[in-house]
Amino acid sequence: MKTRDRILHTSLALFNQEGEEHTTTIDIANELDISPGNLYYHFKGKDQIIAELYHQYHTALSSTLQAPVQAPLSEDSRNVEQNWYYLYVLLEEMYQYRFLYHNLANLLQRYPDIRRQFRRLVALKHTALHAICETLMQQAVLDTGAEQLHGLVENLTLQLTFWLSYDQLLHENRPPYITIHQGVLQLLAMVAPYLGDDQLAFYRDCQDIYANMLANQD
Amino acid sequence: MSNKKDKVTDRASEFARNIWLAGVGAYGRAVDEAQSSLKKATPQPPKLFRELVKAGAALEAEANEATASARASVEERIAQVRENFHLQRTARIEDLQVLHAKIDALTTTVESLSAQLAALQSASTPRRKSAAPKKKAPAVKKATAAKKAPAKKAPTRQVAKKKAATAKPKAKASSGKA
Repeated sequence: MKTRDRILHTSLALFNQEGEEHTTTIDIANELDISPGNLYYHFKGKDQIIAELYHQYHTALSSTLQAPVQAPLSEDSRNVEQNWYYLYVLLEEMYQYRFLYHNLANLLQRYPDIRRQFRRLVALKHTALHAICETLMQQAVLDTGAEQLHGLVENLTLQLTFWLSYDQLLHENRPPYITIHQGVLQLLAMVAPYLGDDQLAFYRDCQDIYANMLANQD
Repeated sequence: MSNKKDKVTDRASEFARNIWLAGVGAYGRAVDEAQSSLKKATPQPPKLFRELVKAGAALEAEANEATASARASVEERIAQVRENFHLQRTARIEDLQVLHAKIDALTTTVESLSAQLAALQSASTPRRKSAAPKKKAPAVKKATAAKKAPAKKAPTRQVAKKKAATAKPKAKASSGKA
């Protein structure tokens, strides 16, 4: 791995563990066992590292979010589950860059460039979720009206944006798989009232798995 | 005087005419220039346009490729998650049914194999007592009868196995006697 990539990798790990605010370039250099001068050669400061990490995140998540917009994830009501698995993919990707969400308002205030792009990312989340819900309505999986759909998508986007802060607030440092699973379960819980009995099976599975995870945690 | 006056007016009109002509000339020249530059320009824009189209097409192909690979990676990851999910969730009735079907298939294979074995052995020992084949025949019938009832699959398989197992030593014993 190149030094530049190693710096990014270590920075991401430190930001996720310790929080972005409390991590300095000195910490990063110490963790990597390189001189601060060497780090400075690659990045002129923490701002640049964060900008680069955000760029990575933005690129990765937007391409994932594009998938359901371009073509439905499920061809018909038989493989609807594809959509629910997709949520896992999405949340796992977000979890990798969770430091962004830990203190979101603060971070966006300090980095106006990121704020602008982050707004676009949230809009894209909205678009992707809307596309999924519309497909499911066409496939007669979701049974709801246009107005309710609007509200539903709005709530899903909200959950998808703040799920990490909520989880962090209530349960500090849970194992990642529980956090991710809980996020998906919450999203599904919002969709569940509009699903038919056949489609509820997946939701129930999710609940069971979550209960199992909590039971096996200790 | 009138002559002089005429001369003056002549000169004046000539002057005016010249000005006018110059104006026309300039206009004509402008038209010419415009036309020539238009002529010059006409072969150029398509070239430029074509290049732009070409560049655009290349970019579009690149973009398509990128979105296709992104899509493929999303689908791949969905498949991974699905696998993970199936490992974690508890078995459903459908899963049991799938297992039942597999057991059924295995049972029939075992039965047909043991029947074949029995047929081969009875063929190789033609001078055997007539009682032995009679015993085997009902055993196969029982197995097929059990197959029709879908509720007790697992026991059926064991029974079938046991029968196959018990049939073998008998056949060996009889061949040994012969």
